[in-house]
Amino acid sequence: MGKTVTIVRNVMEANERRAGKLKDYFAEKGILCLNLMSSPGAGKTSLLERTLADLKGEFKMAVIEGDLQTDNDARRVAATGAQAVQVNTEGGCHLDSSMIEDAIAVLDMDGMDILFIENVGNLVCPAEFNLGEDHKVSLLSVTEGDDKPEKYPLMFHLSSVMLLNKTDLLPYVDFSLEAASAHAKKLNKDIEIFPVACRTGEGLAAWYDWLRSARAAKKQA
Amino acid sequence: MHELSLIESMLSIIREEKAKHGMDRILRVRVVNGALSGAVSDALAFGWECLTQEGDLQGVALEITDAPLKVVCGACGKPFEPEDKHYMPCPACGEILGHTVTSGKELYIEEIEADIPEDGEPATGV
Repeated sequence: MGKTVTIVRNVMEANERRAGKLKDYFAEKGILCLNLMSSPGAGKTSLLERTLADLKGEFKMAVIEGDLQTDNDARRVAATGAQAVQVNTEGGCHLDSSMIEDAIAVLDMDGMDILFIENVGNLVCPAEFNLGEDHKVSLLSVTEGDDKPEKYPLMFHLSSVMLLNKTDLLPYVDFSLEAASAHAKKLNKDIEIFPVACRTGEGLAAWYDWLRSARAAKKQA
Repeated sequence: MHELSLIESMLSIIREEKAKHGMDRILRVRVVNGALSGAVSDALAFGWECLTQEGDLQGVALEITDAPLKVVCGACGKPFEPEDKHYMPCPACGEILGHTVTSGKELYIEEIEADIPEDGEPATGV
């Protein structure tokens, strides 16, 4: 008969500890860090391409690109002139904070205003791993169906912002902006919702205003 | 979906505790998994089986206790256990928003049962 030793240790403690260190680092440097999450193909990289190009005169920005394989996204983002570093998870379903630590080490963080982390395309796992970010931002495209917040609640529950992308396709799909918004608000009454079309640029002004105010709030803190 | 990597974190915590407490052989590990943790208990059990087939923790039993979801109503303050994880109307006032979760988010190792020799000196300062 063995002895029982009480442990009580959080299984996620290693990630939480590193995420806490990253949060301190971003606070010290006054960098706004955003963790961008969506399913594959919802338009995360297109949103970043637009944002980086449109705001490049205003902010110094960089992107950490998470994908299972390839550096396609880092190359697309780098074409805007912003710094980009690709993290390949080699099959992993999410980014964790050790990957962010490694990525930051190769970026020039001096004078950085906004760091975007483009998480692995997946509506489930990325939400469970804190990366030291100020806000989680989720992106849902109208071709995916308006019940996604209800089906994948954690991500929308934890996000400060939900962007509804590809609104230029609304005439061709059965997607209700109202229903998607209502589902998300049910999970998180404070979530900010911006309908956008990254292809045409429609609606992005509201997203940019949100970025400006989040950046200003971080700088003051 | 990432239960295997959660098991890897568990194994490293267990190895740390094994060294810290001078454990000889681990017999059983008990883990508490909350209804909102995002980890599926069956998948944890399967991941455990896969990663303890050989090596120093071969054959150690994993016992998973599921922690129920408990919340306190955001409007009237009544504590209750919702039947549904996503739609939680308060039984007292009907409010569905703004509840505080008091149980269900957790995923932690609660205890380890092991053979510990009498002279097994617990290491200090770990």
